[in-house]
Amino acid sequence: MKILIKNATIVNADNIFEADILTANTRIVKVAKDITPPEPVDEVIDAKGKHVFPGFIDLHTHLRTPGREDEEDFLTGSQAAAAGGFTKIFCMPNTLPSIDNEGLAKWIFEESQKIGIVDIYPVGAITKNREGKELTEFGALRRVGCLSVSDDGVSLPDSLILRRALEYAKMIDILVVEHCEDLRLANKGAMRESFISSKYGVSAIPDIAESLIVARNIEMAKYLNTRIHLAHISTAKSVEFVKRAKNEGVKVTAETCPHYFMLTVDDIEENSFDARFKVNPPLGEKKDVEKIREALRDGVIDCIATDHAPHSHAEKELPFEDAPFGLIGLEFAFSLTYTHLVKAGILDLKEIANKLSANPAKIVGLSHCGVIQEGFIADIVIADLNRQWIIQEDKIRSKSKNTPFIGYQLYGVVEKTIHKGKIVFNEL
Amino acid sequence: MEQWTKKHILGIKDLSRDEIETVFNLAASFKEISQREVKKVPALRGKTVLNLFFENSTRTRTSFELAAKRLSGDVVNFSVSTSSLAKEESIIDTIKNLETYHPDIMIIRIESSTSLHTLTKYTQASIVNAGDGRNEHPTQALLDMFTVKEVRGNVENLNVLIVGDIMHSRVARSNIFGFQRFGGKVTVCGPSTLIPYEFQNLGVKISYDFDKAIEDADVVIMLRIQKERQTSCFFPTMREYLDRFALTPERLRRAKKDVIIMHPGPINWDIEISSSLKEQVHPLILKQAENGLAVRMAVLYLVGTQKRELVEVE
Ligand SMILES: [Zn+2]
Ligand SMILES: [Zn+2]
Repeated sequence: MKILIKNATIVNADNIFEADILTANTRIVKVAKDITPPEPVDEVIDAKGKHVFPGFIDLHTHLRTPGREDEEDFLTGSQAAAAGGFTKIFCMPNTLPSIDNEGLAKWIFEESQKIGIVDIYPVGAITKNREGKELTEFGALRRVGCLSVSDDGVSLPDSLILRRALEYAKMIDILVVEHCEDLRLANKGAMRESFISSKYGVSAIPDIAESLIVARNIEMAKYLNTRIHLAHISTAKSVEFVKRAKNEGVKVTAETCPHYFMLTVDDIEENSFDARFKVNPPLGEKKDVEKIREALRDGVIDCIATDHAPHSHAEKELPFEDAPFGLIGLEFAFSLTYTHLVKAGILDLKEIANKLSANPAKIVGLSHCGVIQEGFIADIVIADLNRQWIIQEDKIRSKSKNTPFIGYQLYGVVEKTIHKGKIVFNEL
Repeated sequence: MEQWTKKHILGIKDLSRDEIETVFNLAASFKEISQREVKKVPALRGKTVLNLFFENSTRTRTSFELAAKRLSGDVVNFSVSTSSLAKEESIIDTIKNLETYHPDIMIIRIESSTSLHTLTKYTQASIVNAGDGRNEHPTQALLDMFTVKEVRGNVENLNVLIVGDIMHSRVARSNIFGFQRFGGKVTVCGPSTLIPYEFQNLGVKISYDFDKAIEDADVVIMLRIQKERQTSCFFPTMREYLDRFALTPERLRRAKKDVIIMHPGPINWDIEISSSLKEQVHPLILKQAENGLAVRMAVLYLVGTQKRELVEVE
């Protein structure tokens, strides 16, 4: 398959320029002005007035498969991803059973190939059954293609296991992704400990439940001289630790999610404790949102992930304190980022390609991805930044509809997503 | 032969190259004696040798016992597990107690890595380290080097690769110091969780890639791996350990033709070394055991006779 994209405004992490793009099979073969292909192509796309980004990469997705296919499966997850401009997504291992062996990981790679919409990379568990006790076979996981491991949902409860995991991962060359939460301190809270939680008497999680573990993880990575990736950073205090660590040269990388640069505890109160606003880590205060935005701008936070966490309607109908944590995000991350960070003047447009494509690729070690460049994988998103759209529940492609952003009017419409040289999403 | 001045043999760290060579020369003579019909020499006649094993090791204890007997020493074995001697204090009490018999040499195997220096204060005897915790196992390194010297004709400037659980290994530490005395370049290879980062500062190279590391090696020392290392999370499974760090025929094919494969024993076949390599590697590993006797005779001879002029062995 050959695709020629004409008159594109290409947005890469380091520059924006006008050019045509020619793909052949799975690769970008040419990026230049006025390409006249030597032989006929299968598809010509006129991208005049559109912006063309490298395919987005989500380091943090939950696809609920195996175990909760009623909430999401590989097909609906892939469709939602492609609709949001994502071409590579990393699914977390808190499934039933958990992805803690290479057999299951291999099966996910194979299913993902069969569906062929996006690449699904299983994230292996760090410990068997995510129990925090015994390491999984990082070597075997790496061999079938896993690039990262995580016990997401929980932090490693034992610092000695964390040490062993980081040391062992260094040898295998696999990325350790830590969900940062002091579980004892979080004490089954439902929202951020704050004026509002106190006012309504809601069991709550203090912000230091995150930053304590952030600090521990950073100290450990520094001591062992290993890399570590911190999932869904949500508090101002965590940002301070990451910033200091980066200045000291610690090999730490961090992600945040759109809801952490968008929403606060006030939104929970304003929406009468609607469980769609319940997420872990919990929504913070205004100062946290400001700090997260600043950290994205300054590069303290490297990338934006979705932490796409589908939950059934019934589960999210439960009272706030009983409902599960999590919200979906694959279809909205790009438009939320564009509207609320780029159009709001906080991030440069190039930063979209940096935070959603180039940096995630770099962090996890995906080669030839995340940049529109000759020889790279033909993962391409064509978007119209001038068009607006409204998030409507009945238009959501994900099997679960739990998002707090219903009704939001956003700029930036993903019109086409090309994955490995194939059009996998077409809005029109 | 030069005058031997070391009272104790606590570790290879403390031995000079000349001293190690003295051991080798003497061991070579003793090895020759072991092939005679009458295997005894009177060097330690009238001397009392205590073989104190606070940790189980039939092989090393037997080797030392036999070495002392071949030198005509009076050997007493004293094996007691540290569990019945709860604290180090009671080890000191034991040493004080045994000191009343005026022993000349105490051969000690002990679980603690830091006790031997302390114990020297409580006895007039020479202490020979038969393995102290993770610290050193000097006679093992001496016999390893002696074996290499015998097989290759030299022990100088070799590339030595030590594979396995480096962190917990006294054999690794003693061999590092030993081969380095002779200009050797030592590489340690094993799971990243079992190699202390600080080993770089010992001047050794750290590798996690056995396939690659074996290519330049003149000598490969395979260490014993303990099952408990897996249960305490140093690596996920034995399967994954073997996949990376077992000596297999495929790996051995990557090595130099004249590579020397050693193992301190006892070997877990199909764990550290594939049993299909048995015929190829076992004879040399048995030779190590044989040389162990000669080296231990040399060591006992040197510390047991240091107060008088060294006499020719024959
Ligand atoms: Zn998480
Ligand atoms: Zn998550």
